[in-house]
Amino acid sequence: MKPGAFEYRKATTVKDAVAWLHSDLNSKILAGGQSLVPVMNFRLAHPSLLVDINEIAALHQITFNADTVTLGALVRHQEMAESTEVRDRLPLLAVTARHIGHWAIRNRGTLGGSLAHADPASEWPAVMVALEAQIQVEGPDGARTIPASEFYLGYYTTELAADEIVTAVTISRTRHRLGFAEVARRPGDFALAGSIVEDFGDGQGSVTWFGVAGKPERVVLALPEEESARARSFQSALGKLSQLDDDRHRQQLAVTVAERAFQHSRLTGHEYLTFEGGQV
Amino acid sequence: MTEQAMRPQFMGARVKRVEDPRLLTGQARYVDDIEVPGMLEVAFVRSPHAAAKILSMDLEAARHAPGVRAVWTFEDCPVMLWQRDTYEVGQPVLAHDEVRYVGEPIVAIIAENRYLAEDAAELVTIRYETKTPVLDMVDAIAESPRRVHPEAQNVFFHKVYASKGFDEAFNAAEHHLSETFRTTRQTAVTLEPRCTAAMLDPASGRMTIYASTQSPHRVRSDMCELLGWDENQIRVIVPEVGGGFGMKANTYPEDIIVVSAAQKLRKPVKWVSDRTESLLSDVHARDDIHEAEVAFNSDGKIVGFRDHLMADGGAYPAYPFSGAVGETSLASRVLTGPYDIPYIATTIDCTYSNKTPLGAYRGVWGPIASFVQEGLIDRVARALGKDPADIRRINMIRPDQFPYRNSAGMVYDQGSYGESMEEALKLVDYKEFRRRQDTLRHEGRYVGIGISVFVEPTAMASSEAGSVGYESVFIRIEPTGKVTAAFGLGPTGQGHETTMAQLIADQVGVNFEDVVILHGDTDSAPFGGGTGGSRSGPIGGGAALVAGREMRARLVKLAAHLLEAGEEDIELGAGKAWVAGVPDRAMTIKELAEVAYTHVKRIPEGLPIGLELVARYQPKRAVSFSNGTHIAEVEVDVLSGLIRVLNYVVVNDCGRLINPMIVEGQIQGGVAQGIGSAFLESLRYDEHGQLVTTSLMDYLLPEATEVPRITTRHLVTPSEGEGGIKGMGEGSLIGAPAALVNAVSDALAPFGAMVRQLPVLPNDVLDWVNA
Ligand SMILES: Cc1cc2nc3c(=O)[nH]c(=O)nc-3n(C[C@H](O)[C@H](O)[C@H](O)COP(=O)(O)OP(=O)(O)OC[C@H]3O[C@@H](n4cnc5c(N)ncnc54)[C@H](O)[C@@H]3O)c2cc1C
Repeated sequence: MKPGAFEYRKATTVKDAVAWLHSDLNSKILAGGQSLVPVMNFRLAHPSLLVDINEIAALHQITFNADTVTLGALVRHQEMAESTEVRDRLPLLAVTARHIGHWAIRNRGTLGGSLAHADPASEWPAVMVALEAQIQVEGPDGARTIPASEFYLGYYTTELAADEIVTAVTISRTRHRLGFAEVARRPGDFALAGSIVEDFGDGQGSVTWFGVAGKPERVVLALPEEESARARSFQSALGKLSQLDDDRHRQQLAVTVAERAFQHSRLTGHEYLTFEGGQV
Repeated sequence: MTEQAMRPQFMGARVKRVEDPRLLTGQARYVDDIEVPGMLEVAFVRSPHAAAKILSMDLEAARHAPGVRAVWTFEDCPVMLWQRDTYEVGQPVLAHDEVRYVGEPIVAIIAENRYLAEDAAELVTIRYETKTPVLDMVDAIAESPRRVHPEAQNVFFHKVYASKGFDEAFNAAEHHLSETFRTTRQTAVTLEPRCTAAMLDPASGRMTIYASTQSPHRVRSDMCELLGWDENQIRVIVPEVGGGFGMKANTYPEDIIVVSAAQKLRKPVKWVSDRTESLLSDVHARDDIHEAEVAFNSDGKIVGFRDHLMADGGAYPAYPFSGAVGETSLASRVLTGPYDIPYIATTIDCTYSNKTPLGAYRGVWGPIASFVQEGLIDRVARALGKDPADIRRINMIRPDQFPYRNSAGMVYDQGSYGESMEEALKLVDYKEFRRRQDTLRHEGRYVGIGISVFVEPTAMASSEAGSVGYESVFIRIEPTGKVTAAFGLGPTGQGHETTMAQLIADQVGVNFEDVVILHGDTDSAPFGGGTGGSRSGPIGGGAALVAGREMRARLVKLAAHLLEAGEEDIELGAGKAWVAGVPDRAMTIKELAEVAYTHVKRIPEGLPIGLELVARYQPKRAVSFSNGTHIAEVEVDVLSGLIRVLNYVVVNDCGRLINPMIVEGQIQGGVAQGIGSAFLESLRYDEHGQLVTTSLMDYLLPEATEVPRITTRHLVTPSEGEGGIKGMGEGSLIGAPAALVNAVSDALAPFGAMVRQLPVLPNDVLDWVNA
C-alpha cells in the first residue's frame, strides 16, 4: 500500500497548474488527497506528475454577493460546516458538509476535489445539481462555465478535460424551502441513498438523489400534501433517472430519503431560504 | 499465613493500567518502530485467483529493479507449514505449482524499502490457468465441484457424537423445529497489523525475531520446528502488540520468509502487513453453518438439540491449529450453554475451500454456538407463545446441579446462571420495556429486546495458545528490594503488566509501584503458553499468586531469622517485615535483600543465596466456566433497514476480579466487536472466489457512534483454582451477537422475522418488512 514513484510540483497560480497538466497527460491535480491518495496507495492510479494546487490562494475563497455565492474549489468540507457565513446564509451547505466522512477527512477534502472526482454517492455533486449551480473551470484555452446539470456524465466521469481545473462553483439566490437527508451504514460512510428536496411552495418541487444512480439529476415533480401520493410522485421521479442502480430495495430507500428530505424542508425549511438569516 | 496476606489490597481494586500512559501518548514501540541500519523490507506478490495452476513466472524485471536484494519463490525457501501428517496437506510458504486462495503469497521481494519492493512486485508476471474454485461448503462436503487438494478429501475433520438414548428421547418430545444458522466470515482486524522483523547477531550467530504475537515461546518452537533451529539459538522479542484477538496466535508464511531471509541474506529484514494484506491473509473466522433442530415439550422444557456443524476451513489448515476445527469441536460440546438440555447429537464436518485459511477470532466457537443456542431458545418461545425469559427460566441449570455435566460430557464448575439473567432483567426493567415496546409499535416504531445467557469455558488445558496447560513466573527481588517478575504470557492489550503486579504486590507485601512485570522475551521469560483462550487471568494470575506466595515464604524465613522471631509472628506489608505486635522490630525488604545478596553469611541455613525463584501453576480442573447475561435493546428503522442499539446491559461473573476496571474494558470491547459481528462485519467472496471486502471502506467495523453506553454489574462465583479467578477475555463477544440479533428478531416479530444469519444487513431487514 505504497504509491509508485511520481513527480511532485506545487502550483501557486491556476495558469501554472494548467500548463503543467497540459504538459503531461498522465498528470493529476492533488487537492485534499482524500480520494486520490488512497487510489494511488492501492496502485490503482499511477500518475507521473502530481500538481499540488493547495497553495493557489484564489481557490480558497468564499464570496457572497447580493444574489450569488461563489465557493472556491479548495474550500474544505469542514470549513463549509463551520463557516458562520455559510451557516447563516446557506445552511443547506453546512448541513451537507457534516455528512461527509469524518472530521479528519473533512479537514483535508475539498469541494473541487469532490466535484471532479464525481463519486455518485458523494454529496456535493448532488447538492450542486439540485441548486442548479454553475461550475467554473479553467484550461489551456481559458475559462468556461458548465452548468452542474451538464457537468456529470456518469460514474466517476465528468465534462472536465484532463488539463482543466475546477476553480469555483457559483450558486444563485433561491427562496425555495430545501431539505436534506441521507442514509448511511455508519455516520461518515458514503450514503446508501441521499436526497435534496426543494419545495416550490405551489405543490411542485424538485428532487435530486445521490447514491442511487450513476450521476445526480434534478427532477421536477409534484409534491402533494398526502404522504402516500408523495411517495408515488417520488417513485415516478426515480423512473426518470437515466442511470438508476438496480440494487434490491434501493428504490424503496430512495423514496424513504426523499420523504425525509421533504420532512426536513418542512421542519427547518424556513431556515433554508438561501440568503436569508437563521441558525441551524 | 498472616492476616495481611489474607486481606489483599491490590487484587480487586480499580488500579489504573500502567500501560496506558505510553499507549495514549503514542510512546509505545511496536515492531514497525524497530529500525536497524541496513534493514530490508519485504513485499509479497499474492495470488489474484482463488484457484489456478501456475504455468510460468517471469521474475527477471523484478530482479533488476532498483533496490531489490532478492526475489524469492518456493525454491528459495522450501518450507511447508504442516508436514502432511495431521491433515494430509501442508501449505508451502510460497505457492509454487498451484494457488489456492486469493491473497496466497507466491513471490517475496526483498528490497531496500517497502516502496521499492512494491515497485518490483508490479514487474512480476505470472501466467495462470484458472480452475473452478471450491467456494460452497455444502457442495465441498460432497466433493463438488472438485477436491481442493487432489490428494485429500475436502472434509478434513469429521466427528459424530450422540448422548445415550438420544433418538428415543428426541423423537418422543411433543414438538420439533429446525433452523439453519449461518455466520459469515470475519477477521480480527487488529489496529496494529501483523508484522515480523528478524536479524542475526553476527557475533553469536543467534537469531533475534521481533514478533507481533500472542505466544512468544510458541513462535520460537515453530521456528525451530519449521526451520531447523535450536531453541537456544533463537530469541523472540515481542514489543508492544496492538491487538491479537486470536488472529496473532498463528505462525504465518510471511514469518518464515522474514526469518529465512534474515538468515540467508545476513541482513535485518522486516515485513509489516498493510490493511489490504491483512484482510486477505490474516486468518479468517466464523465461516460456519449449523443445521440445527430442537425437541421440546408444551411446557417449554427442551429435550434435546441436534446439530450438523459445518465450517469452511479455507484452503489450508492454519498453522499450528485450524480455526474450523476449533470453532466446531468446542461448539459441539458447549452448545447447550447454561441450559439443562439432557440430550444432544452432533455431526461435525470441516472442509477445504479456495478461501483464506480459517483461524481463531476472540470467542472462537462461542459467538457461533451462542447465536445458535439462544436463537433456538427464542424460537421455542415464539412457537409456544411464551415469554423468552420464561423459556430460559424453565431450562436453566439450577445452582444445586453443580458441578454439572452437560449432555456432551463437559463438566461445569459453579456459576450464577439464573441469577445473572434475573439481575440483567431487573437492570433493563424488562416489564416496563414490554409496555414501551407495545406503545411504540402503535406509532410505527420497532424496538426489540434480546437476551443472551452465556457460558465461557476458560483456563483450559489447551486452547489457541497451544496445549501448554500451565504458566510460569520467574520472580526476583532485586538487591534494592524491588520486585521483577517475568511471564511467558503474550499480552496484546489486556493489561497484564497491571493485573499481574497487583497479584504479586499483595503476596510479597510490597507496593504496586514496586513491581515490574516483564513479558515477551524468550531470553528472560520462563517457558509459557502465551495469551489466548481466556487463560492469562486464571492460569497466569494463578502462577503469579503461587510465585508471590513462595517468595513471601522466603522473606518470612529470612526475616524471622534476622529479627529473632518465630515465622508465624512475621508480618509483611508496604515493603517491610515486622514482628507482630512489635512494629519497632522491623526490617525493610530492601534490608532483607541486602542480606540475601550481599551479607550472605547472615542467611540462615537451608535458605539459598539471593531472592529469586521460578513458580508454575496448572489448575486442577481442565476448565473453569465463567458466565453472564447480556441484554440488548435495539430499534429497527423499517424504512431504511438500519439498526440502532439503544441500551445494553451486561451482568458478568468471572469469579474473583483482579481489576474490575480492566474487566469492564474487556466487556466494552467485546460488546463493540459483537455489534460488528451482528450488524456490520462480513468478508464477502464473489462467485469467482475474489474477496471483495479488501479495505475498511468495505469491511465495516463498529465505531464509537455504533457502541452504546453499557451498564455492567459483576457477580462473583469464585473458581476452585488459585485466587478464585476465572477467565473472561472472550465472554463478552460470546454473549453479544446473540443478544443483539435476538433483539432484532423481537423488534420485527410483527413481520414474522427470525434472524438466522450474521450479520443482519439493511437489505435483510427490508426483505422481512416487504415480504
Ligand atoms: C474514509 C473516507 C470517507 C469519505 N466519505 C465521504 C462521504 O461520505 N461523502 C463524500 O462526498 N466524500 C467522502 N469521501 C471523499 C472526500 O470527500 C474527498 O475529499 C473528495 O471526494 C475528494 O476531494 P479531495 O480534495 O480530497 O480530492 P483529491 O483526492 O485530491 O482528488 C480527487 C480527484 O479529483 C481531482 N481534482 C481535485 N481537485 C480538482 C480540481 N480543483 N479540479 C479538477 N480536478 C480536481 C484529482 O486530480 C483527483 O482525480 C471520503 C473519503 C474517505 C477517505
